[in-house]
Amino acid sequence: MQFKNAMMTPLLAVMAVAVGFPLLYSFWLGFTSYQLVSGGVTDFVGLDNYIRVLTDREYWVSMSATASYVMLSVAFELIIGLTIALALQSQKWFKNFTRSFLLAPMFITPIAVGLMFRFFLNDQLGAIPHYLDQVGLSYDFFGAGRALITLAFIDVWQWTPFMVLLLLAGLESIPKQPLEAARVDGANRFYIFRRVTLPMLSPILIVAILLRGLDALKVFEYVYATTRGGPGIETKTIQYLTYQTGISYFRLSEASAMAFILLVIVMGVIVLLFRRLERVNIR
Amino acid sequence: MRRFTAFDASRMVLLLLAVVAVALPLLWVVLASFKTPADLNQPGLIWFTPTMANWTEVLGSDLFAAVGRSVLVATITVAIAVVVGSMGAYSIARFQTGGSLSRFGILASQVLPPAVLVFPFLSVAYMLRLNGTLVPVIFSHLSFVVPVVTWFLIGFFAAVPKEIEEQARVDGFNRFDTFRLVVLPQVLPGIGAAAIFGFTLSWNDMFYGLILSPANSTILPVAIAGFNTFRGVELGPMSAAIVIAIVPVVIASFFVQKRLVQGISGGAVKG
Repeated sequence: MQFKNAMMTPLLAVMAVAVGFPLLYSFWLGFTSYQLVSGGVTDFVGLDNYIRVLTDREYWVSMSATASYVMLSVAFELIIGLTIALALQSQKWFKNFTRSFLLAPMFITPIAVGLMFRFFLNDQLGAIPHYLDQVGLSYDFFGAGRALITLAFIDVWQWTPFMVLLLLAGLESIPKQPLEAARVDGANRFYIFRRVTLPMLSPILIVAILLRGLDALKVFEYVYATTRGGPGIETKTIQYLTYQTGISYFRLSEASAMAFILLVIVMGVIVLLFRRLERVNIR
Repeated sequence: MRRFTAFDASRMVLLLLAVVAVALPLLWVVLASFKTPADLNQPGLIWFTPTMANWTEVLGSDLFAAVGRSVLVATITVAIAVVVGSMGAYSIARFQTGGSLSRFGILASQVLPPAVLVFPFLSVAYMLRLNGTLVPVIFSHLSFVVPVVTWFLIGFFAAVPKEIEEQARVDGFNRFDTFRLVVLPQVLPGIGAAAIFGFTLSWNDMFYGLILSPANSTILPVAIAGFNTFRGVELGPMSAAIVIAIVPVVIASFFVQKRLVQGISGGAVKG
């Protein structure tokens, strides 16, 4: 065997066992009526699971809740992240400390972040509602119409650092000459940012947005820690619905079908991402 | 020396606000871990007599067994990921093995929804009677740690100058020894960063752990969630448990931050 292929073999073997096999198995499960409790008796049922999922109102409510969640959190992460990255870029005092500290949230266990905010924002026990109360405001963070926004806010708290990390690196790798030239030509700060910095930053912006978007799509821990899908099914995100269907209701086959429909959507996004990435690599 | 402008002032205020926004919830949890149940009902309370009751309860509970299991799972996962990942990443970076399909495959598997893979792990674990062990958890963690570590390392291997390898070949090293004795030491910092990053990914996962780990011997994130679900709300001990889960990864993060960008972007952006 050629050396380069020999070096790939262990990686391919592990990936085949840990990713390839479960992927195929899951695909097959989606076409059966698998019951975990009945000892794995399976019948081939064709597209039944897919039809049931695609005609299930709850699935589409969940899809749209997840989509709102992703768009809301990624939009805020982008705006706040870019602002902080620009501010950090010219930071001089306590530079390393500020950076390390601001990046810390993205390393914390998401379930811990979820539980932390569940009580930090809790009506009776939380500090934020307590102080809002003292200035005469009352806001139920996990109430109807608000819970999803609160969840997106938790995502923003934990993952804006990821945006900052990538955008800061992008900003620092921009060559200095075009900026200098624009300044010599008398362009103001805002003009330089819009016409020079932003276009040069766009490849890394796209990577950052897509990486964050794909990750936000998988939100589970915050829902599990705070609302468990409520009020009603408002915050039942796709990952949580799949978990519930497969684990709480033992409908593994239906859950596999749900996961696969999501996968098809995700793959579409990845193909776009990868085309962009390759273009970045060529540059 | 540039003048201190209004722009600079607003920049400082912004950063200060950001630091406060990050610090507040964390400080609140640390405070809560030293409060008695009565004090916890007064969320605004900052000056109080600290109690160690929560900490002694947590330290005496089986939480540390869960910490041990998390460390075990993460260590085995990362060890496998680093060995197969560094070999594969070297092959991809140096010889373009598999063309763009390799990179695409790695990236795609990195973002597979965990719900796609978890049910096969569960039913195979039942079939093989491994459902009372941590083996399925380790396999499930391999599914996302291996691609991330490999992706992370490609950029570091690509940055090693070809000349060193050619010199080693002239000196009579075979290909594998060149990789093992000449190239690997060059990327050791990158491997260290990838290993720590992979460790935090495994340490932080709850989804797989919740479904695949045995109910009476779970891993840390599931154990923390347990403070909230099964025994009513035990806010004090839970806060202590959260602090225990947070501290090691935040400390570890300080060591990898410098190399993180280069790793995440697959070498496209230098950190």
